[in-house]
Amino acid sequence: MTLFHFGNCVALAYVPYIIVYKCSGLAEYSAFWKCVQAGGAYLFTQLCKMIILATFFPTSEVPTGGLDVIGEFMKSTVDLADLVGIHFVMTKIAGKGQLKFMVAGLGWATAELITTRFVTLLVGARGIEFDWKYIQLSFDSNISLVHHICTAMLVWLYNRNDVNKSFVPIVMTLLALSCYRPLIVEILIHAVGMGSWPLLLAKAVFTSCIGAITLQMYLGMSMQQANSFY
Amino acid sequence: MLQGEFGEILEMFRNSFPLSFLFFIPIFIIISPVSPVNAAHEFAIYRMQQFDLQGSQFGCKSSLINMEARPIDAKMLTRRCIVAKLADVTISKYRDLITQNAGGLLILLPQNLSALKEENKQHLQSLERDLLLEENGVMPVYFAWETPELTAIYDDINSATAGDQAATAVEALFNSASANGFQMVISGSQAKALSDFKITNIQGHLSGFGIEEQLPTIVLVAHYDAFGIAPGLSTGADSNGSGVIALLELARLLSKLYTNSRTHAKRTCYDLFLEFYLYVFIFKKLPLWKIKFIMCIDTVHCKFNYQGAKKWIEDNLDSAENNVLSDVAFVMCLDSLASEDSLYFHVSKPPKEDTPAATFFTHLEEVTKTFFPHVVVKMVHKKINLAEDMLAWEHERFSMKRLPAFTLSHFEAYKSLDRTSVIDTRDRVDEEKIVRNVNIIAEALARQIYNLTSQGSIRLFTEALEVQKDLLSAWLDHVTSQSRAAQLLQKDSSLLVTLEETMSRYLKDVKKTYLIADKRDPEFVFYDGAVQKMNAFNVKPAVFDLFLAGAIVLYLGLVYLLVQNFHLILGFLSKFVQPGTSSKMNGAAKVKAN
Repeated sequence: MTLFHFGNCVALAYVPYIIVYKCSGLAEYSAFWKCVQAGGAYLFTQLCKMIILATFFPTSEVPTGGLDVIGEFMKSTVDLADLVGIHFVMTKIAGKGQLKFMVAGLGWATAELITTRFVTLLVGARGIEFDWKYIQLSFDSNISLVHHICTAMLVWLYNRNDVNKSFVPIVMTLLALSCYRPLIVEILIHAVGMGSWPLLLAKAVFTSCIGAITLQMYLGMSMQQANSFY
Repeated sequence: MLQGEFGEILEMFRNSFPLSFLFFIPIFIIISPVSPVNAAHEFAIYRMQQFDLQGSQFGCKSSLINMEARPIDAKMLTRRCIVAKLADVTISKYRDLITQNAGGLLILLPQNLSALKEENKQHLQSLERDLLLEENGVMPVYFAWETPELTAIYDDINSATAGDQAATAVEALFNSASANGFQMVISGSQAKALSDFKITNIQGHLSGFGIEEQLPTIVLVAHYDAFGIAPGLSTGADSNGSGVIALLELARLLSKLYTNSRTHAKRTCYDLFLEFYLYVFIFKKLPLWKIKFIMCIDTVHCKFNYQGAKKWIEDNLDSAENNVLSDVAFVMCLDSLASEDSLYFHVSKPPKEDTPAATFFTHLEEVTKTFFPHVVVKMVHKKINLAEDMLAWEHERFSMKRLPAFTLSHFEAYKSLDRTSVIDTRDRVDEEKIVRNVNIIAEALARQIYNLTSQGSIRLFTEALEVQKDLLSAWLDHVTSQSRAAQLLQKDSSLLVTLEETMSRYLKDVKKTYLIADKRDPEFVFYDGAVQKMNAFNVKPAVFDLFLAGAIVLYLGLVYLLVQNFHLILGFLSKFVQPGTSSKMNGAAKVKAN
């Protein structure tokens, strides 16, 4: 398609990030540099993950189009390193309480967006061929922004000492769910034979469910905080 | 210090973030590759004939297509690539397209050409003829097989233009925004003339018994190229695959007779299987005739005027030491022998009595009468029309040089469109018929070369000397497996190599001769690009982009509102956590997209 189409896709993918950055108060704290650092941490984590994958995981010979559950499971397991990375960002890169996970989540998601989506859009959306997948990709990046902020929030909750003990299993479950999200998506594609639009919708619903639950717990936390020292 | 500088540079970018963004983006856009061959539909297309013959041009002159696809009945045709099914294309429609300045025409051929109904077949053939005769064929014309992929594209194009007839302007706007357009692109450049194109003739001979120079000669000729509207689709099974196969089989059979009779002592074991009378006959009679076999790229049909045969005649007439043509008894051209129960003996001048050609004709008649009574053998007399550009039959090339010549064919009329059609495929010919025709010709030839006149009903080619049907069938598969258009048969093409190898197995002195058109005043010019790849890109109209931009702006506005008023949502949620308490959360906001 045209440069205009590329512009559309880029706007759809990036503007929400800017809106979140401007409106969530990160701009007021001038947390830009911290977000960049979080992005750096993202890159470092991905490098480590790749080295681990390349070293310890044999390439499975699955015919293209087939579903390799075990292989995908292994890969998602390596994604646990992401959680460690986010934790590292939140402990090492200073920030005030709630700002911490916003910085980590936003930085992380932006780094992912730039490294994995930008080139695809740049090459694909400007070709002659029109395909809905670039618009879908842009929507998907919006969803993954929510997803990463949720994950960061969950990690933050997990590391709190004053978290309600009854929450811990829920937090663990949600973390596992968000970690194995690619696996679940993969299974949905193959088992249910979902098309790209329903899949996108499923992702959005899935992410917003996790987001809602996380938000509930977070609010419960902040109530306690408000009662104690806020 | 280094850190300080680094920090400074970063600070610069941080402060002028939008500006630096503006700085980098154009660079990214310029350096990023745009690959047009990305997720597109790609399919093979076959270009219409293009050639120059004696100064006049035939076929479509242009070859480039890079434009939007439209169905044939669309209103706007200018600079569009028309995609149409074969049944919808007529010659008047074609002229219409040219007057309207259409950019190109892609004709979808049904995949199973051999199963085409009689009327559709005639439609295709007359279209082929008319397209070629069209004088101002500037528009590129291509053919493609009607694959499911292409049918889907065709349906999409058709439904897209249905929007032109929308009732209201709004509806038309929406229709055009949701339409699925296709950009048809052929990469590559305009078709170029093939310079120094070599036309190949292959020849070999079997020498008779006696003093070589004094023996009368029979010349067997067949042209091996095929002609159709699209060179890439011309497999020419009947015309003239069958002639080539018949020639090869005759070479094989006659070579057995010749080698056997010449080497009495060194009989090979297979003549032990021959019946007794044949045995006796071979030893009594030695072949007294020399046979020359020529495989010409008789550059196709009436169209290219049998350039190969012309070249061969010129070569052999000129050379003094090799006066082959002076003692030629007759020239027999084989053309289309794989169908129908008839065998026509085409001559330009009826042979006089007692000439070898006349004797051969009587042999032919006798053989068919005795062994194949249902086959009609008839002499057809057609004078050479020198005023016409094109020659009707191959033998006319020889007749013009006063050589006794004739063509054997199952076609009665030289104008038959079956001779120049892409529909002439493997499935449409019958091996049985070729076997029968080869049998007839071989028997008649044997009577001629052994000077047998009163042998009655002896059949020579049986048992070990039988015409092998399996072999013929395999050959037929081979020669029709690829296109045999003259412009696609380069001098080192695999088919030519195979033909030469096979001929040298049976014949002596097999050699290839080449014909290159004169540089300044070429008799024929071929053009490249007969088979190409076309890409169909799914594109959307510019209106669609506008709509999309509007929708995106709307969506982003919603997201903005959502994020701005996130504390309301939080407040709403916190009621569930601790009813009665409202929290003021401005710090951490979160997007709930979608």
